[in-house]
Order: sequence, then structure tokens, then C-alpha cells
Amino acid sequence: MLSLSRPTLLSHVRALWAVAWKDWKHFWRYPLNVVSQIFQPLVWLVPVFFMGQVFSVDGEARGFAGYSGSGDYMSFILLGTALNNFIFAVFWGMGYALKNDMDTGTLEANWLLPIPRLLLLVGHTLTSLVTTGVTVAVMIATGALLFGFRPGGNVWAALLTLLPMLIGLYGFGFAFAALVMILREANTLVDVSSFLVNVFSGASFPVTALPRWLLPLALALPLTYGFDAVRGYLLGTRTLLPLNVEAALLVVFMVVMLAFGVTAFRALERRVRRMGTLGQH
Amino acid sequence: MATTTTAFTARTPSLSRPGLAAELRALWAVFNREWLIFTRYPSFIVALVVWPVIFPMVYIFSARALAGPDGSGLALFARAAGTDDFIGYIAVGTTVWMWQNVTLWTIGMALREEQMRGTLESNWLSPAWRFSFLLGAALVHGIQLAFFILASGLEFALFFGVRFHGSPWLIGLVFAASIPAIYGLGLAFASLVVAAKEANNFVFLVRGLVMIFCGITFPVSVMPGWMQSVAAWLPPTYTIRGIRNAALNGADLPALLPDLLPLAGFGLFWLALGYAAFMWMERRARQTGAIGQY
Amino acid sequence: MSNWAVEAENLVKKFPQKKPANGNGEAAAKTRPWPFGPRPAAHWFTAVDGVSLQIRQGEVFGLLGPNGAGKSTTIRMLCTLLEPTSGTARVAGYDVIRDAGKVRQNLGTVLAGERSIYWKLTGRENLAYFAALYHIPPDVARRRVNELLERMELTARADELVEKYSTGMKQRIVLARALLARPPILLLDEPTLGLDPQAARRVREMVKELQVEGHTILLTTHYMEEADQLSDRIGIIDQGRIIALDTPAGLKQQISQKDAIKLEVAGWRPEMGGALEALSGVERLAARYLGTDSVWEVNLQSDDSRAVLPGVIERLSQRGARVVNLHIARPTLEDVFIHLTGKALRD
Repeated sequence: MLSLSRPTLLSHVRALWAVAWKDWKHFWRYPLNVVSQIFQPLVWLVPVFFMGQVFSVDGEARGFAGYSGSGDYMSFILLGTALNNFIFAVFWGMGYALKNDMDTGTLEANWLLPIPRLLLLVGHTLTSLVTTGVTVAVMIATGALLFGFRPGGNVWAALLTLLPMLIGLYGFGFAFAALVMILREANTLVDVSSFLVNVFSGASFPVTALPRWLLPLALALPLTYGFDAVRGYLLGTRTLLPLNVEAALLVVFMVVMLAFGVTAFRALERRVRRMGTLGQH
Repeated sequence: MATTTTAFTARTPSLSRPGLAAELRALWAVFNREWLIFTRYPSFIVALVVWPVIFPMVYIFSARALAGPDGSGLALFARAAGTDDFIGYIAVGTTVWMWQNVTLWTIGMALREEQMRGTLESNWLSPAWRFSFLLGAALVHGIQLAFFILASGLEFALFFGVRFHGSPWLIGLVFAASIPAIYGLGLAFASLVVAAKEANNFVFLVRGLVMIFCGITFPVSVMPGWMQSVAAWLPPTYTIRGIRNAALNGADLPALLPDLLPLAGFGLFWLALGYAAFMWMERRARQTGAIGQY
Repeated sequence: MSNWAVEAENLVKKFPQKKPANGNGEAAAKTRPWPFGPRPAAHWFTAVDGVSLQIRQGEVFGLLGPNGAGKSTTIRMLCTLLEPTSGTARVAGYDVIRDAGKVRQNLGTVLAGERSIYWKLTGRENLAYFAALYHIPPDVARRRVNELLERMELTARADELVEKYSTGMKQRIVLARALLARPPILLLDEPTLGLDPQAARRVREMVKELQVEGHTILLTTHYMEEADQLSDRIGIIDQGRIIALDTPAGLKQQISQKDAIKLEVAGWRPEMGGALEALSGVERLAARYLGTDSVWEVNLQSDDSRAVLPGVIERLSQRGARVVNLHIARPTLEDVFIHLTGKALRD
């Protein structure tokens, strides 16, 4: 008797699609969650906006311009938040999806499938990328309507710069997912480090505003250059390094992180197989 | 209401002896239990000590950026906020926001967690007064939050150089005046969540409202009129303003009354609502048996 | 009034439901959505449809029934977690609605075993906690906790977190909790579910001990051997109604299924049949030759095989025959159940 399983490229794509589709359906089964997810960024933006107002004259934050080269505080923030959302979707999405599978007990079942597990992880991010896209679109539309968000500049260059950053993030996500599987209790670590990364990568303010002794931390994070470059292209802000240098840095980041992430994940897989800790919680 | 007359006499009489002292002992047992369980989860230290410091960081550094490398923006801030100590200003706002948030997640989820654990039923099978279970949890979390606020204050002074000018008694008074409103909401929440079995979105709603309207990083006066009207209905607005006045501007009691009085009013309302919500939920649970289900 | 330990009179419980179920729901036809049709709550699911029973003090009463029969709903009403839609119930003489507090003082309950204790507390801490909830004075409570830990053989591990206990140990702690206030009445819902045979046996022994000590026990179970073994009387519940209530022997008699005795007899002679049939209690005798060593299979039926066997064997040996093998098939409660409901007890 022959197994019905026939792996091909097409079947892998179909598997990927199945994972994404399952996540998608799951997401829409909790409509209230959808609403709150879409409105979350708006909720966060409002105090930021009003705080900016306090420091501004006629909508221009002059003090701020001293650091960033532009008085348009809201556009700075909006771009930062938009990027941050995507980073969260990829970077942490895999870790949380894994943790979720572990908690609900479906991880072992999923791992017994004849699909590369990295593919499963990637599949998990697809839905969150789409939902994040929707959230960000709403946020940008709100920004344009309410806060006067008008990005100019070189959109294509910005997008091209983003690509290596996102791919590198996938690499990081793989390594992080591996960590989650070892630690098994990741929530606090994830929350705290996610928050700190947010602070130090310049999502909400130019890193040059940090106290001098904290600046090296920010400069060591590749994400910082991603934020910086995108803003540089779209808003014309002053960048830390010349734009093409930053872009090159991101490409290097992508290659290094991918290699690291895949290696880390494979190493972990072997360790888990050896020690049999997959099913435990 | 007379008890039903009975001819039943047990051969093995029960050891249970009800009374006021017994009810207080039961309350203490709930308190003790919740405290023990809390201390057995090691990550609580992080929650209590680390978050108060890192959470305001985003806003504080943003404000720093807005002030500009030459601090020129500060004058604008001082004019609107009444103080140039933007760090202390923001720290107070974020601490109150976290207080509200954590209260909802701890007290607000106390009963729901019991429900999911399966222990709500075993608790309700006992003859103890059912409100004790919520009250005991609220007391424990109240104490933890007190530590949290004290720790926050110390950390702000240590790491951010915030200087508190006012009288500690008056600062304490504003906190005390805010407790009924915040906890009343937590109590109401706890009951609604057991009935609805859905918590996340309620929390997001409250968090969102407080974040948008209560002036955690800016003076309420900067908002348009209609938003200020909404803010006037939210207790945290008064807490934040009161503590800022007491701690950063050294206000005296008469100056604090415009914040203390509304807080007292809100407090009464929310406490009453919290208890009413509990009674409603408990009755509904007895009729539909909802507490046993996940 | 009455001296019943537990008494229920026409207990009914209806739950509102959004969608009409096929079977128990009334008005199961398709209806237009509200406000054009009836309100959704117009559909009611009747979980318990007029249950009456009386349990006397010191009795062990078994409530048997498949899933969905209304067992859990009935006991939830008796232990005051759920209010009946109509009907009355009294536990220890107290009305379950009007004097719920007094009922709880006098009732020890074990529901869904493992999940109802605190895993992050030790066994001892769990018991001390619940003792306070049951209003047991502190000095009495201390003694009682130690007593119960010893009885449940948990003293050595009393100060370890419950999350480290085995399933059997968790069940013993839960049982200890039910016994804390030394309640005259115990309600045990599937007390041996999920336990290994040894642990289950220990629990059953304990039920017997508790009965001797004077407790009244209402027991629900899926396991008919358990119900048979432990209960003085059994109520069979199905589709919200009690369809039979009697002693185990009485129930089996109801289906007029008798013990079937199968003997293999060496040296049988057909005229022996008459001698055996003359014995009182022997019915339907039939013999056939098994084809080897002149051994015959003799089948007979009796109401009480235990009473009849000695006489049978004596008569056979008097006539020079020898019993080489013996098998007795007794009707089980499962047979009773299938006979009454057309379903198996465990579906």
C-alpha cells in the first residue's frame, strides 16, 4: 500500500496556503478582536499627537526639527508606527504562533507533517502580514485625514530598502522561534525585549535624542537604520549615515540574519529531537 | 426569613460553624491563598519593578526629542502644562495609566481565572459569602499595586531624577481618593467578564479611552472642547491632574479639592455599580449554571 | 416533616437555547428570526424533566445514566449551584433555594475532580483554605486537616505543590476537601473517573467506610459494576427522567433475566435432570453431550445461583457425577439499562 503523500513544489505552496488560510479564518472568528486590532494604532497615536501639539507652534515642532531635520512630528511617528507593526508581525509573530501551538497542544501534530517546519513558520506570518497591512492602511488613512500626513519623496527607494530588512527579520524570527521553544515560558521576556527594541530602534523618536550613553545601543541595532532610511527617503529627514550606506548595511543584515536564523532553528530541531521536549508544556 | 423546619438530625453533625468571625476568617483565607499563589510565579518581580520604568521611556524620550537639542520646546511645554518637569509630568501619567490597566487585568480577571481553572465552582460550593472571593483578590492586588506605585516613585527619582515637591500625605490622599473609582470598575469588570466569558476587548476599550482622553502625556486643555468633555467623565483624568498638582507643583488641600471631590463621587458610583454587577452575575450564574463552563 | 437526607420532588430544569435542538427542544420547526418570529429564548432545552427521589440517612444511592441524561444538572441543583426551574429539593432538611447556605454547610461535594483545587498551593494549604471557607473553627480545622491527610495517606507529601501530585493523589485531596466539615451528606460525581484500577478500588473502599461511619452518599457514575457494588439503591436517569429506581437486585429482577449456570458434568445421566429440577430455584434445565470423556454441558437458570448451587452439586455427587467446570453468567446493570433504554450505558 502506498502513501498518498506526494511532495512537490506545488504541494508545498498549497501547504503554505493552508496554514495562512487557517490563521485567516481563525482571525475573523473573533470580530471584536479584529475591530480592536484595527483601532489600536489610532488609540496609541492620539496621546502622541497631543504631546506633539504641546511642543509645537502652528503644527511645527521646532525643537524636534533640531534632532530630525524636519518639524513634521506626526509623519515621523506615523511612519515609525507603521514599520513597527510590520516588524512585530514578522519578528514576534512566529514566536507567538509557536507558543500558541504549544499551549493548545497542536505543535506535535503539526511537526509530524512532511513539510519543512520553517515553511510552517513562514505560513504563520502570512496572515498577520495581511492583517497588519490592513491596520497600517487604516492608520495611514487616518493620519492623512486627521493629522496631515503627506509623505513625498522616493517611495520605491523606501520600499526597496525595506525588503532586505524584512527578510532579515524573518531570519531573526526563526532564531527567536527557536528560543521560544527552548524557554517554553517566553511571555515576559518577549514583552520586555520587544518593548526595548521599540524604544531603541527609533520607532517613536530620533535615536539622537537618547542620552549619550544609550546611543551605542541604538546604533548597534540594524532596525535603527531601516527606520532611518525609510524616513530619509520619504520625509527628507536627516539620516545617521548616508542613505546608500544604510541600504547596504541592511542587505548585509539580511544575509547574516537569514544564515543565523536558519542555523539556529535547525540546531534546535536536532536538540529537541534528541531530548524529546516538544510535547511538554 | 425563617429556615424550613426539619425533622432531620444528622448522625454525624457537620463541623461548620457560621458567623461573622467565620466569614472574616474566610475572607482572610481567600487573601492568603491569592497571596501565596502570586508569590509562586517568579515573573511577578519583573511586572512590579521593571515595567514602571521602561514603559514611560518611549514618551519621555519622545518628549526629550520634541524639546529639541537646545531645549527650546520646553518653554512651550511649560506654558501649557504649568511645569517644565516633563519627565515627572509624563511619569505620573503613565503610572496612573498602568495602575488602571493592571487593576483590570488582575482584579478584573480574578473570577474569570478561577472559572477557567475550575476552582470557582469549588469555592461557590462552600457556605462562605460569595463576594469575599472577589474582595479577597482585590485586597491582594491592591497591596501589590501599592508596592508597584511606591517602587515606581522610587525608580523615577533614582533613574530619571524626578523630584517630588509636595506633601506625601496629600499625594497619598489623591491616591486614596482614586481607589474606589478604579477598584469599583475592576469589580464590575470581574463580574461582567464571568458572565460574558470575554475579557480582552473590554480591557482594550478602557485602556483606549484612558489613553486617548485622560492626558497621560499632555495637559487636557490642549484637546478640543468635545474631547475635554469626555475627559471630565473619566476618573483617571482627575487622578492624574491631582497627583501632578500634589507631587510636582506642591499644591495644598484647597487646590486639590476640585480633583478630590469628583473622585469621591465617581468612587461611590463605581463601587455601587461593582457590587450590583456582582449580585447580578451571581444570580444569573445560579439560574443558568454558567460558572461551570469554560 | 420528613427525615430524608436528600429529597427531591419533581425537579425540572430548562435552559434557554438559541437554536432548537432535534429531540428535546420544543418547537423545533424553522422559525423566522426575531422580531418577525418568536424570540430566540422561546426554544427551551429540558435537561431535567421531573426528577423525584428520596434518600434516607446512611444510604448509598447511585445515580446512573449516560452522558447528557441530566445527571450533572440534577446534582448541580442538589448542591445549590443551579436553581431549578420548578420543583423542590431538600438536603439535610434544608431547602436548596431558601437555605442554600445551610445546605452547603451540610454537604460535601466532589465534582470534576482534578480541576477544582489550586495547583500552586500545597495539599495542606488547599485543605486549610477550604476549611476556612466552610466555617470550621481554626483549632478544629487544624486537627481535621491532619486527620484527613493521614486517612488519605498524603501526610508525607502534604507540603508539596498539588501540581506535582499524581491523578490519584489529586483525587484524594479533593475527597479530603469534601470531608473537611464532616458533612452528613456527600455528593460524589464520577469519583473514580480517570483513575487507575488500584486508585479506583481505594476510592470505592473509602465510600464503604464512609457509609459505615454514618454518612449518606449520593454517587453518580458511568461504571455499572461500581454502582452495583456500592449502592443500596440505584436510580437510572435518562433524558431528564428517572426511569427506574430500586435496589440492584430489584432492578435486575425487573428484566426477569435470571442467572445462567453452566456446568460441565462428568458422569451425567439424563435421569439426573429430574432430580435437579426438583430443587427449588432451579429452572429451565437443559443438557447436551459435549462429545468427549462422557462430559455433558448442563445449563440451568435460577433466580439466585449462589443459593441453588450447593444443592445442585450435592445432588450430582450423590448420584456419582462430578462437576469439572462451572460458569455463572449473572445479568448486569448494563443489561438492565439496555433493556430499559435501548442504549448502552457508555455511548
